[in-house]
Amino acid sequence: MDVHGDTASLKRKREPKDDPTLAQKKHRRRTKQQEDTNANDDQNSSSAALQHTDGDLDLSEASLQLRQTLGSWKVSKPMGGRMLDIDPIFSPDERHLIITYNTSIQVYSTDDSLLVRRIALPLTRTDDATEFVSTHIVSSVLSKCDTDYIWVACSDGRIWHINWTSGAGADTPFTVEAKKVLDVAVDAAEIGGKPEDVLLVLKKLTKSSAQIVAYNTKALATGNGKLLHTYDESPQLLRCVAGGRLVVAAAKETLHIGLLKGRKATSLDDLTYRFHCFDVPDIVSCLDIRPTLRTTKKGVLELQSVDLVVGCARGAIYVYHDLLSKLPGEGSGSLKAGMIQPKKYHWHRRAVHSVKWSEDGNYLISGGYETVLVLWQVDTGKLDFLPHLSATIENVVVSPRGSSYAIHLDDNSTMILSTAEMKPTMYVSGIQSLVLGDRPSKDSLVRRVWRPVDEIAAPLVATVNPQTPSQMYLSVGNGQQVSQGGSSSTPLLQVFDISSFHGVTKHAIARTNPTDANITSEGMPITEPTATKLAFSRDGKWLASVDEWQPPERDADVFLTGSKTPAEACRERREIYLKFWEVGADDQPFQLASRINDAHHTDRTESIFDLASDPTSSRFATIGNDGVVRFWTPRLRKRDGLAATGPAGQPLRSWSCSRAVSLPIYEQQDDSVEMAKNAQRSGAIAFSEDGSILFAAFGPPSGALVVAIDTETGSFRDVVAGMFKGEIRAIKSLGSSLIMLSEDLIVYDIVSDELLYSYSLKETSEAAKRLTQVAVNYESRSVALVAPVPNPTQGKMKRGARSELVVFNIQKDEPQLVKTFSQLITSVCAAPSSSGFIVVDAAAQIWSVTEGAEQAPLLQPLADLGVDDSDAAEREPTSEDLLLQEGEASDDEMEDADQDVEMEDDDDTHAAVVAPQRLAEIFNAAPAFAMPPIDDIFYQVAALFSTKPVNA
Amino acid sequence: MAAEVLPLAQVKLPSGPSPVSAEQRYWRSFKNQKSHTSTASWPISHISFPAAAGTNLSHSLVAASKLNDLFAVTSGPRVDIFSIRKREPLKTIGRFDSEAHCGEIRADGRVLVAGEDSGRMQVFDVGGGTRAVILKTWHVHKQPVWVTKWSPTELTTLMSASDDKTVRLWDLPSNNPSRMFTGHSDYVRCGAFMPGGNSNLLVSGSYDETVRVWDARAPGGSVMTFKHADPVEDVLPLSSGTTLLAAAGSAISVLDLVAAKPLRLITNHQKTVTSLSLASNGQRVVSGSLDGHVKVFETSDWNVVAGSKYPSPILSLAVIAAGAAQEDRHLAVGMQSGVLSLRTRLSGAAAEKARDRAAVEAARDVGTEALEKLDAQKAKRKRAATTNTSMELLGESADVIIPTDAPGGGGGGGRSKRAKLKPWQRNFRQGRYAAALDEVVDMAGPQYQPVTALTLLVALRHRSALREALEGRDEISLLPLLKWVSKHISDPRYLGICVDVSFHLLDLYSEHVGGSADLAVLFQALLGKVSKEVEKAQMAIQTNGMVESLMFGGM
Repeated sequence: MDVHGDTASLKRKREPKDDPTLAQKKHRRRTKQQEDTNANDDQNSSSAALQHTDGDLDLSEASLQLRQTLGSWKVSKPMGGRMLDIDPIFSPDERHLIITYNTSIQVYSTDDSLLVRRIALPLTRTDDATEFVSTHIVSSVLSKCDTDYIWVACSDGRIWHINWTSGAGADTPFTVEAKKVLDVAVDAAEIGGKPEDVLLVLKKLTKSSAQIVAYNTKALATGNGKLLHTYDESPQLLRCVAGGRLVVAAAKETLHIGLLKGRKATSLDDLTYRFHCFDVPDIVSCLDIRPTLRTTKKGVLELQSVDLVVGCARGAIYVYHDLLSKLPGEGSGSLKAGMIQPKKYHWHRRAVHSVKWSEDGNYLISGGYETVLVLWQVDTGKLDFLPHLSATIENVVVSPRGSSYAIHLDDNSTMILSTAEMKPTMYVSGIQSLVLGDRPSKDSLVRRVWRPVDEIAAPLVATVNPQTPSQMYLSVGNGQQVSQGGSSSTPLLQVFDISSFHGVTKHAIARTNPTDANITSEGMPITEPTATKLAFSRDGKWLASVDEWQPPERDADVFLTGSKTPAEACRERREIYLKFWEVGADDQPFQLASRINDAHHTDRTESIFDLASDPTSSRFATIGNDGVVRFWTPRLRKRDGLAATGPAGQPLRSWSCSRAVSLPIYEQQDDSVEMAKNAQRSGAIAFSEDGSILFAAFGPPSGALVVAIDTETGSFRDVVAGMFKGEIRAIKSLGSSLIMLSEDLIVYDIVSDELLYSYSLKETSEAAKRLTQVAVNYESRSVALVAPVPNPTQGKMKRGARSELVVFNIQKDEPQLVKTFSQLITSVCAAPSSSGFIVVDAAAQIWSVTEGAEQAPLLQPLADLGVDDSDAAEREPTSEDLLLQEGEASDDEMEDADQDVEMEDDDDTHAAVVAPQRLAEIFNAAPAFAMPPIDDIFYQVAALFSTKPVNA
Repeated sequence: MAAEVLPLAQVKLPSGPSPVSAEQRYWRSFKNQKSHTSTASWPISHISFPAAAGTNLSHSLVAASKLNDLFAVTSGPRVDIFSIRKREPLKTIGRFDSEAHCGEIRADGRVLVAGEDSGRMQVFDVGGGTRAVILKTWHVHKQPVWVTKWSPTELTTLMSASDDKTVRLWDLPSNNPSRMFTGHSDYVRCGAFMPGGNSNLLVSGSYDETVRVWDARAPGGSVMTFKHADPVEDVLPLSSGTTLLAAAGSAISVLDLVAAKPLRLITNHQKTVTSLSLASNGQRVVSGSLDGHVKVFETSDWNVVAGSKYPSPILSLAVIAAGAAQEDRHLAVGMQSGVLSLRTRLSGAAAEKARDRAAVEAARDVGTEALEKLDAQKAKRKRAATTNTSMELLGESADVIIPTDAPGGGGGGGRSKRAKLKPWQRNFRQGRYAAALDEVVDMAGPQYQPVTALTLLVALRHRSALREALEGRDEISLLPLLKWVSKHISDPRYLGICVDVSFHLLDLYSEHVGGSADLAVLFQALLGKVSKEVEKAQMAIQTNGMVESLMFGGM
């Protein structure tokens, strides 16, 4: 049982009683005599870290065992996710919008922006979870034959046929043989006289060749499709229109146009296409086709003309008018170069992310990195703009009636704009934290001067307001994909409600430039400050944030004098701000109360390692690279000795440093002090639960100290050495225990001066260390640790990295819960006023980890709640229904005599039959003077009427 | 949704050590000094005006004091009566045998009382005629009378204090004091009625270094005594009636009558504080001292909020309030040299008129063009005003009136008021960085502000466009930039960006310095400025070292 307690990311250190060196570690004070033993410990612990490789093999077994033994903690289903770069789908009646997420399909109501249904797709198979295959949804298309269904294709060849009105079909995918599916187009072709959905699947053969294969439902079941075309360029996009009469496939700089040969097909095998191929002046990033059909004299539908628009990676848009007439006729050989000349429209600076024809074909709608929706008048080339949207435009879809546009932005939001006044009628936004995209951005189709960021190197800074526990505050950037802009700045704070699952607001907590060009004249991305710390005061009235900015190294060449490196020159020019915000009411923007420019500084601005909030009063503490702990308290802002007041006459407060405590530096041999000074230092702080002690850990990796500071006097109560191995990651306090995270996770009892237990992290790469986080829940006395699972082949935290969550109870040294997530976890927070934790992963999903029978505070879709009205709405409204609706619409309080009669008439169809004694229970519960508040009564009555009737 | 285009936010600099506060601006707005030298340069010993200090005065008294236009200035053997409105002496009372003290006008502005060195006290009629009529004379005190004050609540009651160590309470019709308070062991040089409900309370300060509180209802000696370290020169009860200020030596003590303890000792003056006065409706206290300083204190924490220096030791001062709102009108300061300085703060219509006059004056200096522009502006304003009034008249029949000028913007016409971008902001937004920079560093420009230039430079750094804005300049466009940098490189708040700009400039243009004399001179100036700063820094480090060694020695 010596591996018992190990997890994929943690290695249990041996029991102290087995290990004499650890036993020594139990009782340690920083005294001169014991420094020798310290050195011994370091050696021993490093050898322990080496040992862990042999334990890895037993891991899955061990964790399986654990999972069986532990029942009390459970992990909820994930909510949210990232909207993929796939066109959102309008239902034909425009009442619903179907958005494809990375792990699910979500159906929203366009009337009220509410989530109607979430259809989770089992993308990662559990059996081969250890081996990473890049499976992601490549396409989701509405079925042309039955509009209740959508086809969803996954890159590994699985294709789902899902009824989006019920969610059926998510468990039974078809599978097509393919190395990798690149794109799928669906159209209803007439086969054997009746229309049938035909799927055209673009399969990757090698790096630079692909084939198009057609399937119908029957062929999907057997897995044998009809090969239509094979081509040699690296393929990308596939579209087909007009009942499969026209297929357009794009491959880098060429377009392949396939025209259906033969009028009638009796089976799938009869489908044959004649393919033409011609070059586009630039790399294709998106395209849209506008076919015009006509009925021939024989009553057969025929393609009359096709207008094709192609958006390119360098910003140009090419329009091919009436393409069919320019294509050579049957048997007249191949296309000659230069025969097809497009019309060019160029406004975008970077790749066109989406371009669409308007319903009438007179306008083009395009969008891209510039965050500007551009409306082109095709004939004149006149431009119209909707500028300064919040993020890169990813997809634009014109609604079936042409009366609105659905726009998917890179900040994980989708909105519907009415075409008439360009006002949003629906807005859905998810978590906007950085994610790892499944597909490279369209901006990186061509070489850029900047290199896209392909890893998540820093944890997501997030916190929960203690007063409104359902609101999560996440620091987010202007876009969501890390690769998008080449920079990962997070100057915004998103307020996200996890119980109703929508973004409440976004506040700028650092400098942003939403209305200026977001690239320099050299084409470099402009970096904005990054929020590094967030903390709420106990009463939720104040928010403290730390943001950092430094000039990019490319700007620092001029400043190099002597042996200075660009990195140093940039560090000297860093701007680090500690800001205190007054949190207003719900949607009110935060008021900046104080900005501290150089909260910690030596001869230059020093970074702030940690920010902690006093659990008992409005007070914050920070620790910085200068080795000082500062306490920050609010005070009345005074002007000439008089309290300054705001516009409403309320007294203003400003924050200032009320105490600064210099921390001792670990004293080693005298000659090494200099060296220690230069070593990279790190620190962390935590308030004790009663706010009387601040635990501060600070020092170079060679010798960090933990100091217990009396918060009233600033004096040192206790100093403990040798708790950290390597860089200090975090320190937390729970009761009398200190939880310390470096390369080891150590739980130490400060009162009895005893090491309770310790684990060592297996993953020790820089990025992994940064992403290892720990959170403490006071209510359940538990500690949650998230750590990336070691991946020997990949050092960076790229796509495919996985994380593990381990929950400990502070009293027990065995983990209470071990769970591996298929995505990197970027943040873990304790859920206030509950015993659980909230976990955010790199796919913008939220998981709730709860103990026992506690209900996860996450949103349930409408369909799960049983209030989905889509079924009722889609039924033909019968007269009975109409009556019913009338009855429902009448207000309880306004019931007058004749309405009463009406209601009695259709009483048997009324949804809620409420027994009079139930109402009496509510209203006669207490005498009039002792009644509960009126809104409570209202909710009780409303609950009575809204519950589902019991089926007799 | 689509975000609105906002102008670039100005850089917020940390507030410096002494920014001009609103309070300082207020006290600086006492301008238009008018000096008045007394006959034979007698020192101005007392300035008084009947202030409606108490809250429970009789109504007629308050009304009377609001209409009052007089204040009295005592100097040598004369009392001058000034008009508040005209700031000029109206009449002089010279019917004293010896030095006069404490000429006080009653709240209704009709009679004045003054004491003199002979011990005589006289009441004069100040209304009508150039020559003041003596209404009443007392010669009970045998030593100089230093204090004569009217009761704030009763028209016929007054107090006196004298070098004969007594404080007496008088009733106007009777010939003898209604009450005599004894207990001081030295000259009594100051005294006052306590305001508020307890007008039976008197307070006096004496050269025996005590402040005594007397109660007319209680028999016997003082009801409360505060001992000080120096002779008490002036006492000033605050309008609350529970707090008392006493000037003793160079300190002012704040005494709490309810808790019967001193609250605070204010030691901002260098020499003896001679005079105290209330200002801003009792929200501020002004003190004058022999060191020539006038200091203004706020009354909650007793911080100095403003101050000014006068050329001669100050013997007396008063902040004279006028108007219905009893706003501070004049700051009257009487000095040893016999000069009475009157500084006036204009408010409301008067201030506007003065501003207009100043604008015309300034425009006249510039030239006819500016004058015409000013006239056009005035005419426009007038037109708008007339249309507004005509619309108002129209309003009697119409239901809805849309004013031509929507007050506060935003409201009328659906036109939202949006700040128009300035040329440099527009240039910046459209990426013409060099042009934007040229505009903001032009120190001769009409709207030049150093912080604007800093804002732009910092924004350029944030956008990695600093070099782009500096590149490709010729000698003429480079010079203002270099001047700006060498001017501001010594300011620590501008230092960082100035250093960056200098680095870029040196990198870009150092090869051309040889070819241009102007450039060479400016770079030389920059070098000089920088080496001076380096010197300063070295000195600071040396000083720091010395202080540190002292501190170690002290430990």
